[in-house]
Amino acid sequence: MQRGLNWPYKSEINEMEEMDADVLVLGGGIAGCMAAIEAAKKGKKVIVVEKAAVKRSGAGGSGSDHWEMAATNPCSNLSPEELVEAMMDDNDGFNNAISHYIECREGWDRLVDIEKMGGKIRDIDEEFVGAEFRDEKTKLMFAYDYKNRVTLRIWGTTFKPAMEKEMKRLGVVVVNHVAVTSLLTEEGRNGSRCIGATGINGRTGKFHVFSGKAVVMAMSRPARIWLFSAGYPGLCEFRPMSCIGNGHAMGWRIGAEFNMMEKSVKAQFSASGKSYPPYSAGNNHNTWYAASIIDAEGKEIPYADRDGKKLENIMDRYYPSEGQKFFMMGGNIEKAKYTYEGPETIAYGELKNKGYKLPFYADLTTLPDHERNVIWGMMVAEEGKTKIPVHQYYAKQGFDSAKHVIQCYGNGWTSASFLPQERQLFGLPGGFMNDWKLESNIPGLFVAGDALFASNCFGHAAATGGYAGRHAAEYADKNNLEKPCEDQIKIEKERVFAPVYSDLDSGITWKELNQAIAKVMQNYCGEVKEETLLKTGLSILKEYETKIVSKTVAANPHELVRLLEVIDILTVSQIIIEASIHRKNNCEKLEFIRSDSLPGEYEPFIVIKKDGDNVITRKVDLNYAGDVKENYEAHNGAYIKEMRH
Amino acid sequence: MSRSFTLRHVEPSKPITFDPKKCIGCNRCVNVCPIDILLPSASNGETPVVAYPDECWYCGCCVMECPAEAIILGHPLMNQVRWVEKKSLMKEGDLK
Repeated sequence: MQRGLNWPYKSEINEMEEMDADVLVLGGGIAGCMAAIEAAKKGKKVIVVEKAAVKRSGAGGSGSDHWEMAATNPCSNLSPEELVEAMMDDNDGFNNAISHYIECREGWDRLVDIEKMGGKIRDIDEEFVGAEFRDEKTKLMFAYDYKNRVTLRIWGTTFKPAMEKEMKRLGVVVVNHVAVTSLLTEEGRNGSRCIGATGINGRTGKFHVFSGKAVVMAMSRPARIWLFSAGYPGLCEFRPMSCIGNGHAMGWRIGAEFNMMEKSVKAQFSASGKSYPPYSAGNNHNTWYAASIIDAEGKEIPYADRDGKKLENIMDRYYPSEGQKFFMMGGNIEKAKYTYEGPETIAYGELKNKGYKLPFYADLTTLPDHERNVIWGMMVAEEGKTKIPVHQYYAKQGFDSAKHVIQCYGNGWTSASFLPQERQLFGLPGGFMNDWKLESNIPGLFVAGDALFASNCFGHAAATGGYAGRHAAEYADKNNLEKPCEDQIKIEKERVFAPVYSDLDSGITWKELNQAIAKVMQNYCGEVKEETLLKTGLSILKEYETKIVSKTVAANPHELVRLLEVIDILTVSQIIIEASIHRKNNCEKLEFIRSDSLPGEYEPFIVIKKDGDNVITRKVDLNYAGDVKENYEAHNGAYIKEMRH
Repeated sequence: MSRSFTLRHVEPSKPITFDPKKCIGCNRCVNVCPIDILLPSASNGETPVVAYPDECWYCGCCVMECPAEAIILGHPLMNQVRWVEKKSLMKEGDLK
């Protein structure tokens, strides 16, 4: 933006608005909207606070093509219990059995709800009649494993607008364009009950104070920790650039517990503009499963089953191998145990020895028509940010999926080659620790979607959102509104607005700070960790917090929201380093490597929280969820009864 | 030929272009953008301003929302994916 242009919105920087609700939902993505809808259906007065506008905001706002692990759908051949067991086993126990059981058990219920709201979940237009992935009776369409049918193909671009309408119908108060900045606690005490939140309007600068009998944290997972580009900040990560884990930072500040924050993976997508637009480059994963991959001379690289047996027919790619009950997902992204061997799992050296030549291409031309048209036209079109930037964009340039092949870059779906220290929170990353009500250790603070530890996708967000909303509504029945602590509000207001009064010419911008944090994280908390290095990195971040944050500047409320995000990124970076310091040994499934690893001692979950200046840890058994079916039913008797009727 | 010079901020890419002939100035795109990178024009009914192009996530939600098909989403040059006709890869004998 050019210096000196007028800000088009009225300044409300000295204004403050107070609102209250039974259930206060923070974040209006898939999880937040579903939480709000469930709580409102229970007759609760609900407020949703959203940084952008709920119609298209959040990681799933622009669309989604898969609804994973809907084990209770009418065509499923798998139980929620066996799926969760496989998901836990796949990750040697480093996964969230509670949230994923909710995903498997209630995902289908939420999908039916979304259909009633106006979302499209069936092939009602009869475009794919006769396709092997379509159930002719229900018109549901499945992906990956056509025998077991637990992952559905959905028309996800229709979902968020439908949810927005439903919230309106139910009388949910949606506060758009307000970024949540902090959580309020009883008497302002660390670790006490969560009773509300503060926020600022990203256009006018108005300060908001929200009170709730119960609060649902439904904000994003962290991002832009290691990856930043001042030139292309919008392309730094996979999810929207405004989804950077504000919730994690504000939870940490009030003493919420976090799990698996030491986990990070080598960057998979969109690192500082290195990748190509998601789903636009050649690959054979998830959305693109099971595209053929060919080499520079058009020679096809074969698929093999998990036992290495070459698959002769294209349709074999959609069925488990001999003796295998089922496989999960499409595309072997994370060395999963429950999958197949695809062209991407063969080492390049081996491919070279076999005579394949670079570059490779994704080839839909030889697929059966239904398979080709469902990948290019439905999956690429309904998946997040594919309708316009990929499907429409390519069509305008004359792309024909029956004729053209698209080049692959890097390995598998990443569409780039990344350095080991270029890391991301991806593939079941860390987040808030939860119990069977999806409540955190902070009473009254429920957690859903990407804010939870080991979160993944759209169905998980919707299922845990609905579940958290329901349990928050129950909590609201038993608890009163508390008046927020005036000191806590005053301190927060001063913190939030300070950068607006800094000197524009000498102040440090959000971009300069984000770039510096990313460099520190790459240098001191990269692929291989070491105690002294981690502690040095931590001391630099603490110095940024005490000496640099006070020098930051924002020219308007939009810039201020961006800056507050980066200040939260600074906090999240410290959580990651603290968690890394407290795990002493290598852990394969957390992709956690220490050069000073002390072999021998087994470490389960190491849950951490902040108490004043101290960091407190506790070890938690990987099986803390217990018997999932039994515990789920013990906590959801009323819901189970209700669903029977 | 003489040319007068100007001072300007150089952007690394131009994600969104408005067709001023088609744009009705309704600002629906401004209000739906998940990153809030657009600002309403100072004059009522005119094309919105792409205030923060570098923050664009290239999701196309503005295009989906536009009732007048007035918005074109592009990609930075570095993000133009290469695709070819399959025929061009095959040796003559391999062609079916």
